[in-house]
Amino acid sequence: MRRLLCVLALSACVLAGFAPGAHASSAAVPTGEATPAAASDALSAPPATSEPAVQEKEPEKPAAPEDKAEGDSEAGEDDFDYDMEDVPAAEQVTIADPWEPFNRAMFTFNDRLYFWVLKPVAEGYSAVVPEPARVSVGNFFSNLRAPIRFLNCVLQANLIGASTELFRFMLNSTIGVAGLFDPAGGEEIGLLRQDEDFGQTLGAYGLGQGFYIVWPFFGPSSPRDTVGMVGDFFSYPISYLDPWYVWTAVRGYQAINDTSLQIGDYEAIKDAALDPYISIRNAYIQYRQKKVEERGATIPKSEPDVPGAGTPARGVGPEAAPQQ
Amino acid sequence: MTTKAMMKRWVVVWGVLVLMLGAAPVQAATPLETVRAEVNKVLEVLRNKSLKEEVKREKLRVIYNEMFDQEELSKWCLGRNWNKLSEAQRKEFLPLFQQVLEKTYGDRILAYSDEKIVFDKEVPITGNRVEVQTRAVTKSKEIPMHYRVFKNKSGVWKCYDIVVENVSLVMNYRSQFNEILAKNSPDELINILRKKVKDQKS
Repeated sequence: MRRLLCVLALSACVLAGFAPGAHASSAAVPTGEATPAAASDALSAPPATSEPAVQEKEPEKPAAPEDKAEGDSEAGEDDFDYDMEDVPAAEQVTIADPWEPFNRAMFTFNDRLYFWVLKPVAEGYSAVVPEPARVSVGNFFSNLRAPIRFLNCVLQANLIGASTELFRFMLNSTIGVAGLFDPAGGEEIGLLRQDEDFGQTLGAYGLGQGFYIVWPFFGPSSPRDTVGMVGDFFSYPISYLDPWYVWTAVRGYQAINDTSLQIGDYEAIKDAALDPYISIRNAYIQYRQKKVEERGATIPKSEPDVPGAGTPARGVGPEAAPQQ
Repeated sequence: MTTKAMMKRWVVVWGVLVLMLGAAPVQAATPLETVRAEVNKVLEVLRNKSLKEEVKREKLRVIYNEMFDQEELSKWCLGRNWNKLSEAQRKEFLPLFQQVLEKTYGDRILAYSDEKIVFDKEVPITGNRVEVQTRAVTKSKEIPMHYRVFKNKSGVWKCYDIVVENVSLVMNYRSQFNEILAKNSPDELINILRKKVKDQKS
């Protein structure tokens, strides 16, 4: 029984728990692919792609900032008088946290769970299984999550996204050897994974996060994203594995595998923070908010347009910002 | 306006333009070029296998100071709370906060070296602020990393925020500083920072 609990713990932790934070820092995951030419690649690639992209965006830009930008070269100096009002408080995303004492307790619980159970197990596992194999296992589970992504693209009337997911699933399940590889996402085909889930769909329908919740095992969430999690559960084929302990074991394994690919991310976030609880809460809502805002298909190169970074976050007025 | 007056104006305008181009070639660099140059310097340091970690850190610190405006970044992180700090407190705050950032982000940057960085585009924010969008491409995924830059007094583009996977560093710290300063004085905040720096060293 204790073992079962452990496995459950493991699974849950990564399922939702550290995901947003972990993603945020996944840049830290080292890769073995040494490309000395990378710098020069980076140098040569952009001009072609970046110029037109900027021009395409032109018409969408509000007139005022543009004018300012033009006058900028002369303005330079007097423009610099630092005015706190100038800080786009609008961009600040906040969330109510009426359950803070409970949430902080759960945060500590999940934190221990990670350091005492999940991380040691994942480290042992990655010592035995080489990285490419673990990446493939990750691909395999990701491929099985295609129904979640497909359904939510459909629910958000994102037909390009939905068909992308459909083709991805067909290609990766066949040429990609049951999803172990991701040929569809490669540069030649360029069908990128569409990260959509039920929480985002509800957000796209105009439902706000509500307030902050930290679930034991599952980590940062909100009423909206909790409902979303239930929706995701039912559209994930693994959830239908029978008997239940098979399901639990598979989810636990998935959690260990995922963790093994991002060891160090959570630690880094925690280490950078003065108050890790607040830092992760904020990272979670920033991350989810942008996910909801970036509606539409994820297409290679042209990149999800982060519409003018200065635009007010939805539902958060400038006056709403300083309190919290 | 007479033609003569107009001519005169043109001459002046052109004169100024020519002077600007000649005197300050730095100003010609676009935000994207500036960020790319700095990021490439970072990559160069990271890829140099012959350097010791300590040397790398030192070199990264130099690049950081070139690339970022620590005061501007701190102002953004503190938001309105910046005004609560006295001149002396600010002087203490800046280097302490920089040390926290250096340690944590230094660790993370030193942990990887062989990702490909793709520089996508510039997106104007407002006035003299621009977001330079880049991606770190790894074997299994792409991580969007956006640098927000502003033009400083001498017309050079300096970073004041990094947005990694849609999470803004500035906004993340601001939420923490808001929380801390709601219950504590600026002096206590500085103590918290001091303690953090000490913990990181041990």
